[in-house]
Amino acid sequence: MRDRLQALADAARQEISGVSEPSQVEALRIRYLGKKGELSAVLGGMGKLPPDERRALGEIANTVKAELEQLLADATKRAEEAALEAQLKGPKLDVTLPGRAVLPGGRHPVSRTLEDIVRTFARLGFEVAVGPEIELDYFNFEALNLPKDHPARDMQDTFYVDEPTLGHAKKADSPSLLRTHTSPVQVRHMLSRKPPIRAVMPGRVYRRDSDITHTPMFHQVEGLLVDKDVSFAELKGTLDAFVKAFFGSETRTRFRPSFFPFTEPSAEVDVTCASCGGKGCRVCKQTGWLEVLGSGMVHPNVFTAAGYDPKEVTGYAFGMGVERLAMLRYGIDDLRMMFENDARFLAQF
Amino acid sequence: MKISVKWLGDYVALPPSVDELARKLTAAGLEIEGVERPGEGLRGVVVAQIRESVQHPNADKLSVTQVDIGGSALFQVVCGAKNFKVGDKVPLATVGAKLPNGMEIKQAALRGVDSFGMLCSAKELGITEDSSGLLILPADTKLGIPIAEAIGLDDSVLEVNVTPNRPDALSHLGIAREVGVVTGAQLKVPQPKPAESGKPVAELVKVRIDAKERCSRYAARVVEGVTIQPSPQWMQDRLKACGVRAINNVVDVTNYVLLEYGQPLHAFDLDKVAGQEIVVRTAKPGEKLRTLDDKERTLDADDLVIADRDRAQALAGVMGGGDSEVTQGTKRIVIESAHFHGSGVRRSAKRYALHTEASHRFERGADLDAVLPALDRAAQLIAELSGGTVVPGRVDVQPEPLAPRRAALRYARVEKVLGVAVPEAEVRRILTALGFKSVEEEQGQTTFEVPRARVDVEREEDLMEEVARVYGYDNIPARLPRGLETLAPEPLSMEAERRLRHALGGVGLSEVVNYSFVAPKSLEVLGGKEAPIALMNPLSVEQSVMRTSLLPGLLENLSRSVRHQVESVGLYETGRAYFRDAQGGQGMRPAAREVPRVAGLVWGLRGGGRSWTQKDSRVDFYDAKGAVEALLHALHVEGVAFTPAEAPAYHPRSCAQVALKDGTVLGLLGEVHPRVTKALGLPEGVFVFELDTDPLYAAARLVPQAAGLPKYPAVLRDLAVVVPLELRNEEVRRVILEVGAPLVEDALVFDVYTGKPIPEGKKNLAYALRYRSPERTLTDAEVTAAHQRIITEVNQRLGAALRA
Repeated sequence: MRDRLQALADAARQEISGVSEPSQVEALRIRYLGKKGELSAVLGGMGKLPPDERRALGEIANTVKAELEQLLADATKRAEEAALEAQLKGPKLDVTLPGRAVLPGGRHPVSRTLEDIVRTFARLGFEVAVGPEIELDYFNFEALNLPKDHPARDMQDTFYVDEPTLGHAKKADSPSLLRTHTSPVQVRHMLSRKPPIRAVMPGRVYRRDSDITHTPMFHQVEGLLVDKDVSFAELKGTLDAFVKAFFGSETRTRFRPSFFPFTEPSAEVDVTCASCGGKGCRVCKQTGWLEVLGSGMVHPNVFTAAGYDPKEVTGYAFGMGVERLAMLRYGIDDLRMMFENDARFLAQF
Repeated sequence: MKISVKWLGDYVALPPSVDELARKLTAAGLEIEGVERPGEGLRGVVVAQIRESVQHPNADKLSVTQVDIGGSALFQVVCGAKNFKVGDKVPLATVGAKLPNGMEIKQAALRGVDSFGMLCSAKELGITEDSSGLLILPADTKLGIPIAEAIGLDDSVLEVNVTPNRPDALSHLGIAREVGVVTGAQLKVPQPKPAESGKPVAELVKVRIDAKERCSRYAARVVEGVTIQPSPQWMQDRLKACGVRAINNVVDVTNYVLLEYGQPLHAFDLDKVAGQEIVVRTAKPGEKLRTLDDKERTLDADDLVIADRDRAQALAGVMGGGDSEVTQGTKRIVIESAHFHGSGVRRSAKRYALHTEASHRFERGADLDAVLPALDRAAQLIAELSGGTVVPGRVDVQPEPLAPRRAALRYARVEKVLGVAVPEAEVRRILTALGFKSVEEEQGQTTFEVPRARVDVEREEDLMEEVARVYGYDNIPARLPRGLETLAPEPLSMEAERRLRHALGGVGLSEVVNYSFVAPKSLEVLGGKEAPIALMNPLSVEQSVMRTSLLPGLLENLSRSVRHQVESVGLYETGRAYFRDAQGGQGMRPAAREVPRVAGLVWGLRGGGRSWTQKDSRVDFYDAKGAVEALLHALHVEGVAFTPAEAPAYHPRSCAQVALKDGTVLGLLGEVHPRVTKALGLPEGVFVFELDTDPLYAAARLVPQAAGLPKYPAVLRDLAVVVPLELRNEEVRRVILEVGAPLVEDALVFDVYTGKPIPEGKKNLAYALRYRSPERTLTDAEVTAAHQRIITEVNQRLGAALRA
């Protein structure tokens, strides 16, 4: 019996060493070690042996079994390894084929820029306010210190609304128009709450003008801060901080006296040209500076129209054209592309 | 406005360079938009006299000249022109000069004869198009001086952007004053004192102001014995530099003084003024006037006119009339120097689209104190240039003399508003130099009399603006805004809109921004019921009404893409649609109802274009719906119902209404009606959606709340049912969930199949059911029983059959 065991073990060793596929290894395991396998068959006759011999033989059988199990495990591992090896050596994928993702759509550069501006001011604590685009003459002009027949109205060519098409049951307080700037939102915002105020007001605005550098609709972001003893120095600081955050910390600002009916003193704000760093180039028309913002201290007449006492509060306001900033930011040299919405243009953003 | 630097120098000492002058004025609020240097391209071109001219030995058409430029030697120059004679003075471009046309002058041999320069035509100097021969200069021109000086081009012209609040700066004297203030230089104002003789003016002309509320002063002088002729070159040069055409000595003087003082003037031929009577009045009904631009105009009763005894002779403050125009035969003139009110002049100027130098200034506000000096200056100059005599005295009618305005400044306030302590002495210096006079001194404050030219200054803030701009914005420090007491939370709609953009971008749609106004036709084709709000003065009919839908823009964008062979189009826009509001326009209520929306469009190949990973397939309803679902998902808006709908712009078979759980309708989704695409010249298969965002954002759950994860495993079973073709998924699903409750957690449709072996008129729907109990692990038997019950019920209720 001992010999039979040895013979079985020899045969098994031989066979196991020769296999290379996991399925063959499994077949051998069943053949030798299965319930009805050869080892069981050999040991089947052990019951008839005397106890001493049975114990000794049992030990040998266990050793053989353990050895074969180990051999089979090794063989499995070897076979799997070989199979993996074979698979790894297969032909390489064409990694140059495009991936399967649906590429995200573009964000319109104006919308991106607008969001960037609003976010930057949010860091300085400015909240967001909006107002109507079809606006009353009163809010767009008169409340902003632009009375009728005032030449400053020439600065903004206005689209007026055909009144009957508004279907008003009662004649409106003043003629309706498409707002020429976001400034009327200042007045509405102030009328709807008490100071202090710190808000930016983004939106569409309209001017009756269309050529290479003007589109009849464009976007502005207006800003307003009203409180006790607000000074021009704070206006400078705020806009300087915005410009550095938006264009980069090396950008410098220049404030130039100017005129807007609703602010006084008023300032145009230039920034150093990012294309040339202020040395002068095509983008800045060799001046080294780009005009990007209008600003000033809120005019007392505007406070009065908004129901605030100009003796109690002061404030500053500013406004910027979003398209202009977007063009500078994204290197767009033709304003009209903004509203053509050409798929090939939009895909770049 | 154009300012001649040479002319400016008559009144004030200028900084050493024009660039510095420009910088200083810009910093003070008079933005210099450009500097023209017409003589700059003429360096190296000098005045030469032809001393000798002989035929070129080797060329018939050339002459060899010897020219003198005032030095010790003559220059030999070969010349092709024929229009000169010996002794003529002509421009010589010396060796090394570079002409405006780019030509560089070199020493050269022309057909074997050396030439040291070139004699030039007017065209070669870039002055006129005249290339017919050499430019022959007046005989008294000095030899050797730069040609720019000889022809009045040795000037720089500043293009000043004068803001509408500063009419005082619309003149050379006004700009000179600003230069003096910023440099500290003394201003030299002309002191005209015309020599007078003859009959007193009162006997020659009478003036009456009927429209007193429109004219605060009317002054006039008479000059007799004038000879109308061209004005001298220096005056013509100055007018030309400022962009004004020279006409004759009288008209040129009125224009010259306008540019000098900013005071508009007008000269009438006194002999054509009927009754020698001037009346300032409003126009009579139907009254006619032939203006100087030779147009016959029927006047409006609101127009202010200057009339004689019989009829209107000028549109006050805008333009003179042809009937009393100064002509070659004019002998006696009356000069008008008046002050008309701005808004009336503006209305007349707008009415006839006549924007003139005069109306530009009156609209903004002329200087009441310039009326007399400008009149005297003009009378004196006209007398000088025309050989006439100024008659004694002026007519000067002033209905109600106005006292100058006053404004007080509290010195402490300067620091509060500007944020910098400008020394009181500097504040005083600035205001005094600008012409403000202290009239009252109190503790810490001064009351100033405002110069009448400064129509923009009314109050303390205005004075502070003057101080700020002259002191220099650069000298005001920059300070960050003060700290916050509270920080208002961001409005939810902002974040909601950001997420919506992310979601739509994520499914491959690109954002567009379209105009808010569209063609009426493009709304009509969509069958819009509401009449749109129209513009009174649109740029074109294509942009004449306010959109009531965002779709026309998107369809137009698609059309553009199709034209450019784009195969796959996915777009969206957020923006407003505009509707009537019967109650609008009262108080704070906006004039119209503006509804914020999001709209999207998909067309063409699915997945952004062709791909090797899948067969070409075209987008359909479910791609558009997927985009809507993506944005709903991003906003965590649940329970949105899509129900079949019909709308004019949509394909009747392929259109859904989108509504919130509470029933609020958000909008529509579906295929654009084939008749619409056809009418627009678009291909078929265009899928769109348009939703109101206000209710959508209000329903958004931007801060989702976490639910615990299930403790027990789920059991998954598939279910396939054959149902009538028109039965909708949502109905089948509802039955499954109802019957399967509480064990069926979800039923997801994963296959829709029609065709063999499914009978005609039926379809097969396959669902993946997920069974789970929150309390224990479900047994196989339980699930099987539940599944069986669902099969039976679905069969009974929906006439479905479990597919074998």
